[in-house]
Amino acid sequence: MSDKKTLGEMLAERGVSRRSFLKYASYTASIMALPPSAATAIAQGLANARRQSVIWLSFQECTGCTESFTRAHAPSLEDLIFDFISLDYHHTLMNASGVAAEEARMQAMQENAGEYIVIVDGSIPLKDNGVYSTIAGISNLQMLEETVKDAFAVIAVGSCATFGGIPGANPNPTGAVPVSDIITDKPLINISGCPPIPEAMTGTISYLLSFGSIPELDHLNRPKAFFGEAIHDRCYRRPFYERGMFAKSFDDEGARKGWCLYEVGCKGPVTYNACATLKWNGGVSFPIQSGHGCLGCSEPNFWDMGGFYKPLSTAKGDPLKWAGGAVVAGAAIGAASAAMARNKRNKVLQEGK
Amino acid sequence: MARASAAPCLSDRATGMALSVLAEIGRMLEALSESGQAGAIDLRSLPLSDVDRAQLEEVLGRGEVRAELDIAGESEVWETTYPGVWWIRHRGAGNKIASEEISVCAIPEILITHPVDIKAAAGRLREELETTHV
Repeated sequence: MSDKKTLGEMLAERGVSRRSFLKYASYTASIMALPPSAATAIAQGLANARRQSVIWLSFQECTGCTESFTRAHAPSLEDLIFDFISLDYHHTLMNASGVAAEEARMQAMQENAGEYIVIVDGSIPLKDNGVYSTIAGISNLQMLEETVKDAFAVIAVGSCATFGGIPGANPNPTGAVPVSDIITDKPLINISGCPPIPEAMTGTISYLLSFGSIPELDHLNRPKAFFGEAIHDRCYRRPFYERGMFAKSFDDEGARKGWCLYEVGCKGPVTYNACATLKWNGGVSFPIQSGHGCLGCSEPNFWDMGGFYKPLSTAKGDPLKWAGGAVVAGAAIGAASAAMARNKRNKVLQEGK
Repeated sequence: MARASAAPCLSDRATGMALSVLAEIGRMLEALSESGQAGAIDLRSLPLSDVDRAQLEEVLGRGEVRAELDIAGESEVWETTYPGVWWIRHRGAGNKIASEEISVCAIPEILITHPVDIKAAAGRLREELETTHV
């Protein structure tokens, strides 16, 4: 449960100095694209904050988001987030089970009413009264509504919770919907991705703790710090795109020379995420660096976008059919084409609402 | 298919970014000298290639002060050959660089002991003296 002491007091008892807060704050400021001078305010905010009660609800999901969040190596800077939060309910990670687990959720809700954060991974099935996914004898819909009622904010993590994900893909047999279709009266942050980048989750929580407010969000409720730019905009292969130099298959000369993967289906131009800068596995690499195009996993309906290996300009189905065809024709229009694709894609999404 | 790690990238080329960063450091140093206004540059937020980074480090060099910090992983802080210009490198999981910045100030905040820690240290030492019989 949440400790009534401040994080500064609580960690000081364990010999954790304020320098640790400052170091973590420098790291947070960096990943949140805040100026380095913000580190002092973040450190102060964290030290004065209470340990944040978090209730994590897992619905129609694969546990990949939890894997990403708990991606722990040796005790390190990044692990400090687990000192800052009190994970009061997570049915995969918690020791308690059955009635005891549900009692822990109720207790956390009562003791921290109005202050706790609900993190949701997985989509919510609505068809046939939500019978396709139940926990402790109640539907996911019931559990979500019941738990969110007294929450301070809701964070939907992963593509299933943010946009429906695989369960919501055509033909969507369970009637799966994202959290945003149900929760409309609470602050909601979407951190999309399959799975989301760990730093996008921990950075957002740290921001909430430090400033007590929601970071700036985009039109899909995603923190702009992580979703403000397309993968394509920060891709190290971008210069090849500008020059019209494309891999035509995964084993041709272009692929071996590291040319742009647009023509083998890369969705980088229409995908907003921080993979190209924060990367994965502690900054080792990201899909494009490993030779595979971006799947577009942080965008709505990415499973139904017409094929992972079809270029944006030829992918069947909406909305990617709108992507510009200039590049495939060999013209180095580059940025203009990508911008056009994004604009048209956004327009289609808006019209589809 | 080529190995993932062998995928070519542009990290082996100079982009001119080092010069831009140096110019910004110069402006910050002028401000520090004239008005005491400190500044900082987040190096991770900039598209620096490996060559750019090496150029920057070479031009700035290492000055009189260097500190190693053992806080949730290693950190290294050194003053460059330009007094008032500090390089701060924090490492996280797997000893990888978690954040890296140039701080233009008299002394980086992370080297200054926080009053809360001083107070806690005084209490801890008092306790130690009360219980220890040498």
